[in-house]
Amino acid sequence: MILGLRPSVVITTAVAVVGAVILTIFTWAGSPVTSGTFLVATYTGLFLGALWAMYATGLVVVYTTTGVFNFAQGAIGVFSAFLYWELHVNRDWHSIAALLVVVGLFAPALGVLLDIMLMRRLRTATLVVQLMVTVAVMVLLLALVGVVWEADTARRVPFLFGIENGVDLGPSRLPWHRLIVIIVAIAIAVSMRYLLRRTRIGTAMRAVVDNRELAALNGARPNVVSSTSWALGSMLGALGGILIAPELGLDPATLNSVVIIAFAAAAFGALRNLPLAVVGAMLLGLLRQHSETWLDFGPNFQIAHRSVAPLLLFAVVVALPQARLQVGRVAHHLRRHERYTNWWEGLIGCGVIILLAVMLSGGWLNFKIWDPAPWGLLELNSANAALAMALIGCSLVPLIGWAGQLNFAPLAFAGFGAFVYLKLAGDTASGYWIPLVGLLCAPFGALVALPAARLRGLYLALMTVALAQAMSLIFFPHPSVIPRTKVGLQFPDIELFGITFDDRRGFFMLLVCTFAIFVYALVLLRRSRFGRRWIAINDSQAASATLGVPVVWTKVVVYAVSAAIAGIAGVFWATVAGNLDSAQSFDLLIGFEAVLLVAAAGVSIPLAGIFLIFKPLFTGLAARLEEAGNVDYLVTFLDQLVIFGPGLMAIGMVFNPRGAIFEMGRGFSPILPWRKDARAEIAAENAQKREPEIGELGLERPFTPEEVIAIDRRLGILDEVVPKEGYGNSRS
Amino acid sequence: MAILEAENVVMRFGGVVALDDASVDVDPGLVTGLIGPNGAGKTTLFNVVTGLLPPTSGRVKFDGVDITRAGVAKRSQMGIARTFQKLEAFNTLSAFDNVRVAVEKNHRTKWKHQRVNDVAHEMLGKVGLDDVADVTVGTLPTGSARLVELARALACRPRVLLLDEPSSGLNEEETSSIGQLLLELVADKNNDLAVLLVEHDMSFVMGVCARIHVLDFGKIIAVGTPIEVQADTAVRAAYLGSDEFRGAYVGVDE
Repeated sequence: MILGLRPSVVITTAVAVVGAVILTIFTWAGSPVTSGTFLVATYTGLFLGALWAMYATGLVVVYTTTGVFNFAQGAIGVFSAFLYWELHVNRDWHSIAALLVVVGLFAPALGVLLDIMLMRRLRTATLVVQLMVTVAVMVLLLALVGVVWEADTARRVPFLFGIENGVDLGPSRLPWHRLIVIIVAIAIAVSMRYLLRRTRIGTAMRAVVDNRELAALNGARPNVVSSTSWALGSMLGALGGILIAPELGLDPATLNSVVIIAFAAAAFGALRNLPLAVVGAMLLGLLRQHSETWLDFGPNFQIAHRSVAPLLLFAVVVALPQARLQVGRVAHHLRRHERYTNWWEGLIGCGVIILLAVMLSGGWLNFKIWDPAPWGLLELNSANAALAMALIGCSLVPLIGWAGQLNFAPLAFAGFGAFVYLKLAGDTASGYWIPLVGLLCAPFGALVALPAARLRGLYLALMTVALAQAMSLIFFPHPSVIPRTKVGLQFPDIELFGITFDDRRGFFMLLVCTFAIFVYALVLLRRSRFGRRWIAINDSQAASATLGVPVVWTKVVVYAVSAAIAGIAGVFWATVAGNLDSAQSFDLLIGFEAVLLVAAAGVSIPLAGIFLIFKPLFTGLAARLEEAGNVDYLVTFLDQLVIFGPGLMAIGMVFNPRGAIFEMGRGFSPILPWRKDARAEIAAENAQKREPEIGELGLERPFTPEEVIAIDRRLGILDEVVPKEGYGNSRS
Repeated sequence: MAILEAENVVMRFGGVVALDDASVDVDPGLVTGLIGPNGAGKTTLFNVVTGLLPPTSGRVKFDGVDITRAGVAKRSQMGIARTFQKLEAFNTLSAFDNVRVAVEKNHRTKWKHQRVNDVAHEMLGKVGLDDVADVTVGTLPTGSARLVELARALACRPRVLLLDEPSSGLNEEETSSIGQLLLELVADKNNDLAVLLVEHDMSFVMGVCARIHVLDFGKIIAVGTPIEVQADTAVRAAYLGSDEFRGAYVGVDE
């Protein structure tokens, strides 16, 4: 123990400091250190840190008071910044007026709306559903920005009071804008701290997240409290977005990615400690600015400066103490019978998939909008791209669907698989290497999960976001990872069983068969001891551990299996694309959308990956229709579906956490002759209406006589005499 | 010799002292009771013994070995199994699969599918749940889910079984058959089993327990046979000064 700190903190700090010193020595750019340059780097860093602190404050406030970690914080900032631009620049409002309207009216309204429609229903939801819904809000807000403010014009948000006016600080000038940001960020953090710790509403906010019922009985109004939190969080996001926009430019993706830095800062404060989160943000700002000023990582790592946030997140995760296994947090709302596909149903299903694919591509099944002819190059290309995504989607099923662990970096895993394949097979493109790719990707997945598996699930989720960003900033851009020296394709056509799959139709069939094999493997895996054990750790980690299941190790194994699947899928993904581009292929948003779609499909179902075919398929279909040129409205509809579909579907998880395929299956299975149980279940459900939980009653208003009867029945003390009015209503 | 010993365990949560120098020992071949008013620290003691909570001070010994620092899964593999007061069943798995998870982890013949199934069915049969083996546990009534937890714990082939209010949610008949099952299990020398039972149903406790520890405000205030404990004045005082606390206490915990 040094200074009362935990050994893991001391060791991590020491390693980080030594690492930073070594890095500094080896990458010193050689620019002269003067008090002027040093000062500029310092206060620019502080300014950046202050902006990130604003985002992090919003995250921490919402998380401590509602228990929901808001991935949409950055997107709220993006939307607000665009709205501010619309009012201030496009409609010539005064900046203060625009600021007041956006931050004071629009943002709190958005926060309250989100709370009423979605967030307050997530109280008892699983972490997967909670995060999926906030990610869905993020994707939807960004899509909306893209549709309302099309990217065809250049937009700039001006600095408050102009960039050239400011305080003179020795050799340079600190613009008012930046000074204001630093002061405002600190003022916000201090007042939020005061609000949470010292005021009545703040105490209520913190109490409600611990025990909503108990807090309600003591006079707190949970709904008012959670709406207040979301309004505050949303205002902070809006303010951050508007103030950062002049620096970064009005680009939705760039502005949105700021939130990942805020994740790291929030994690620095263990997600709940506001002052530490602000310190973390400032630290990040200083590290980023100083490293950019003094260090030169060479031409291959030019944008590596931006990865300080993921790196800090890794360090924090390593330093945090092991989380205790929680008792008494079992989700009790899953009161529905669940039946899993058995081996011969799986075989039939996979047969149907292959048959359908053959018939569709051969033109035997045709729809009116489509030529009856067999698919041409265009259709086959979109179908292949779609199937490759579906393969990647399969990797999420055991991980998210069964073990309940999140992964927002499926594309990074897939890209790693493609990289391994490239190094193994080289120009031969021999498919026999593919199983080995899977084997080599597994340890990579395990390595990613290892530091965070002993923490709560949210940290693992944040780790994967950081991983996705770090990989796309440091790993994939490096020219020797996926070299761009050759002319033409980096990933030539796969050769397997003596066949080169160079024609699109053959490759399509290879992909379909691989998908069927993946799905069938998942069916078998679900029925195996591993599937059971993974679901067990999702249902109750504490119980699993007391049965002798090593929880941390089991999580690591699931990540390894998922990474292996994603790695193999990545080979096909890269081959379909022919090239992997570090900027476009690994776009964070594509990964988010993929995870959303699989989750909305019903991520515990082996077939869930199939939903990932929709985006490439609809895009391809829209292109095909546009070419044919006679159904405009359909093209527009498909375009909008591609843009808004994933987010809207995932938001549906609030109301239907099991997902679309699950519900379709419930409707469909009674038709199957051997599913007597499904018919019986439907009948039973129709016969019996759900009685309200006792715990849900009586908090918002007095009991009604009917509820009193329900309670008595549940407690087994129902008198045969039905109580008359006045029994449960003290006011009458 | 005692198979499980908790020695001078102190557990603090901030300013709250949940366990204050509590010592409990459990002998093989017996059902040992642990009783006390709500909030006395019974479940906390279970959590310390199974490793879910690290004690502020004190030691936990299993079969003479200090296991205070051992992990939860490690303790389970040594032979400590438990059920939970607030249910921790695997709600999305069937009753059968709940038990199979435990069998697969704790039986040598783990790769033999048929053997695993046989053991799992045997355990479900012991607690009388044969007919709901394929039902998802989340849809079962609380009492049955509790029995699933018991079957699951038995499937670990424990040497010490910690039961946290097994009778809540069960009717009188089911409770007495569970009592009978516990007595049979500990009487069977092949099992070499010790049971530590937390329970509010006093007639149940007095009927099956050979020894009883009484916990109040984190302290052990009495140890002895049921008759000795019932005669103890400190125990009577703890139970609201009730003269006759046998059966008089109806607890609804938390």
